[in-house]
Amino acid sequence: MNEMKTKAGGGNFEVRDYLRLDLMPHFMCPGCGHGIALRALLWAVHELGIDKDNLAIVSGIGCSGRVGAYIDANTYHVTHGRPLAFATGLKLARPDLKVIVITGDGDCLAIGGNHLIHACRRNLDITCLMLNNEVYGMTGGQVSPTTAENRLTTTTPSGNSEPAFDACKLAEAAGAGLVGREVTMQTPALRNLIKAGLEFDGFSFLEVMSDCTEIYGRKNDLGESAEMIMAQKSDMRPQAYTTITDQPFRPNRLVTGVLAQSDRPEYGATYRRQAAALRGETA
Amino acid sequence: MTATLQNLHGNHACAMGAIAAGCRFFAGYPITPSSEIAERMSRELPLVGGTFVQMEDEIASIAAVLGASSGGIKSMTATSGPGFSLKQENIGLAAAAEIPCVIANVMRGGPSTGTPTRPAQGDIMQARWGSHGDRPVIALTPASVKEVYDQTIRAFNLSERYRTPVILLFDQVISHLLEPIQLADMASLELVDRQWATGSSAEFAPYASTESGVPPMPRPGDGYRTHTTGLTHGEDGFPSQEPTIVTQATQRLLDKIENHRDDIEAYECHDTDDAEVLVVAYGISARAARAAVREARAMGIAAGLFRPITVWPFPEDALKAAAANAKAILVPEMNAGQLRLEIERLCGSDVKVEGLNRIDGQPIDPAQVTQQIRELADK
Amino acid sequence: MSIETANAEPSTAAVAKGRTRNVLIVGVGGQGVIMISKVLALLCQTQGLQVKQSEVHGMAKRGGVVFSHVRYGEEVWSPTIPMGEADVLIAMEWAEGVRWLPFLRPDTGVFIADTQQVIPPFACRNRDFYANPAYATETPAEIIDMVSDGFALDAGRMAEELGNARAANTILLGTMSAAMDFPLEEWLSVLNQFVPKGTEEINRQAFLLGREWVEKTRLEPKEATTVRALEQQPVQPKINVRLEITREWCKSCDICVKLCPERCLDLDEQQIVRLKDPAACTGCRICEWLCPDFAIAVHHENSTATEVSA
Repeated sequence: MNEMKTKAGGGNFEVRDYLRLDLMPHFMCPGCGHGIALRALLWAVHELGIDKDNLAIVSGIGCSGRVGAYIDANTYHVTHGRPLAFATGLKLARPDLKVIVITGDGDCLAIGGNHLIHACRRNLDITCLMLNNEVYGMTGGQVSPTTAENRLTTTTPSGNSEPAFDACKLAEAAGAGLVGREVTMQTPALRNLIKAGLEFDGFSFLEVMSDCTEIYGRKNDLGESAEMIMAQKSDMRPQAYTTITDQPFRPNRLVTGVLAQSDRPEYGATYRRQAAALRGETA
Repeated sequence: MTATLQNLHGNHACAMGAIAAGCRFFAGYPITPSSEIAERMSRELPLVGGTFVQMEDEIASIAAVLGASSGGIKSMTATSGPGFSLKQENIGLAAAAEIPCVIANVMRGGPSTGTPTRPAQGDIMQARWGSHGDRPVIALTPASVKEVYDQTIRAFNLSERYRTPVILLFDQVISHLLEPIQLADMASLELVDRQWATGSSAEFAPYASTESGVPPMPRPGDGYRTHTTGLTHGEDGFPSQEPTIVTQATQRLLDKIENHRDDIEAYECHDTDDAEVLVVAYGISARAARAAVREARAMGIAAGLFRPITVWPFPEDALKAAAANAKAILVPEMNAGQLRLEIERLCGSDVKVEGLNRIDGQPIDPAQVTQQIRELADK
Repeated sequence: MSIETANAEPSTAAVAKGRTRNVLIVGVGGQGVIMISKVLALLCQTQGLQVKQSEVHGMAKRGGVVFSHVRYGEEVWSPTIPMGEADVLIAMEWAEGVRWLPFLRPDTGVFIADTQQVIPPFACRNRDFYANPAYATETPAEIIDMVSDGFALDAGRMAEELGNARAANTILLGTMSAAMDFPLEEWLSVLNQFVPKGTEEINRQAFLLGREWVEKTRLEPKEATTVRALEQQPVQPKINVRLEITREWCKSCDICVKLCPERCLDLDEQQIVRLKDPAACTGCRICEWLCPDFAIAVHHENSTATEVSA
């Protein structure tokens, strides 16, 4: 493909320049929001002019874990829940790489929850894109830490009685440098959020509200993909408007945009500075 | 660095061996009795431009090691039994995705939390079969501080050469044993770096069958943009369930170790040529066995010692040669009889194989071994 | 809302007696149309005249149409100005001024307009990419030629240069005052009562600036339109939209069909997306963005052609 397009971020965004075309069509179900999120991610990568050769995508297990394989970059598909830990090693060893973790609600919050809070705390320069479809899709639709209450899943036959995680609040409390959320229907806004995360020097946690139509939507009678992503859009509320007192007409149900940002030092740079001082080098 | 004589603990020798071998990344989690390896690495690595990180748990440590190694940096972690159990899934990933790494497991008493401050040799089978599925493994069992140092260097070399995880198995006694050792002369030290992919990226197949069975590894940033996955994959690196591809991929992983046994296997034979009672021992137990064999010889018993340094893959031919004249084989080990199973498998049809097992958190006493050699010789 | 003063004392001011004067103030929401008309109405009251002020602002949130009729004289009966009878038409938004021109007295009417453009959403109803908004195309020079006495000024920029962009409406009030016969100090005194505390001075300056600008422009008519040429929207080249559909990648999820704003897509007999109505497609890219399978690519051909201005 065109070298200028892929390297300099110049030219129009053509998603095909960033996909492994041999593997297409991808294996996600019809209407799965993960594909929309993938486009937004690649769009952000393009606009920032990130070199594909220096782009490392790390993903775990589940539907989200399979998204990375379609990206024409250095892609790593590791063990369930561990992409953040793997990425921590990769980024510390190779600070020159742009490291992005693509994970899911189960991968990131359940089996990988410990790694998430510590990645937030450590504030290493990694962008974590959590595709939240509220369910374990790959294994057939079991309840996940973000499944809404009363929803039917294959392991909550009478409706989910566990409360759901607010992943963004969790990440913010754990100290993530940048925390954001967006819905797939707002593709350009999602791209902008991912750009903000990629440009941020520190750990950025981005939650993307995705839709699992085939399993979760069908089980709960949530309509088809168009209806599901429209419903997310009607639930969403840009962060900037949350202080406007037009309640109860617009509850702040799904706050989107950059939700938190701090200027804590990036861990890798801090470590390297200390190490250089130990070696008697001046930074 | 020139060769120097130092008094080192086993754990420190492991760390210094890693540094000498070119290890520049360590991720670990505190666990008795291996913590001193992490502590030493946290001091040494920044001095040589490497990175130390204490991760949030055992699993994160091995995952971070795999990440760093994927980035092209020689990497290791250290742990003990419980942590080793937690790391197994990712050791499987390292084997499947062929990511070189070294895992030091300082064995302590088990099961479960067991006896953290007491030695044991209970992870021999865990090292071999701990991770699910058929996968290759290399495990080394040094028996002295000096050997911990040397075998750590060798562990890195093997791991780099064969793109596979290498496990160092030693125990609480050696880890906290202080012995004088000669540090390597860096100029004459033979270090192996994994073979990096070179040439055109267009037709590059990251898991191609090469003559050696070990494909060159693509380094991120070099333009290959490959896929690394724990799913069974074809030569192109992408997942496949095609039976022929699955067979080929799994078989190549096993073959690349099996076909290089000569290089990988390491062992010592003491008085085995005419040995009628052969003692097979490894690690700290081998030191008791060595003394016992010497004593037995003094008593006129034709005893010998076969000491595997590479415990997996087990040096089968060497053992059979050493056992050629044996009437009985004694396997003293600090577990309920793990390696004995392997020895029985190899020699059990011809020779009587007996165990000498301690599961009380105490090292084996040479007198116990001598006693049992005498009993076997008398039969 | 209307202000009526039934029992005003006879005026001592030398205003046009015997005939009702008509002032039409137009603009869009948020600009100060109502404020200006209230100042004028109050001034007339203090001058002992009858005033009827009638306005429409209900439909207008910020940006919507607002107009106000102010009629004053010794005795005023009707609250609204008939077509062709406004003595002064003051427009705070350019296209609004042009739109209300038929109300201006053809022979003697004074037309004062801010060249500021507030393009309303309905002017963008054509959703084609780069479509030109349906907005007044007349230039200030053309309009000033049409009317008996015309002024076009960039009050917004004048106010910014003065130090407070919000004083633009007071500048326009100043220009309007120059078209009437009330004494300056009476204007200033009423204005002073109307403006927020603390802004009296800047409003006084703005008022005087507008008034002097008209007086100067009367002497030097060319100045009137050189303050700022009306911003012309560049005429964009028409683009050709081409939808590239990768049939093999489409999984019939129906997102694009349901969420296309123009409803120009459907699924064919094999349940694969197709462009049913190419003429309706505006190339908005929503289908491309929301296709999880990358099956639709929207190409804008000629979109990089150089811009042509009219």
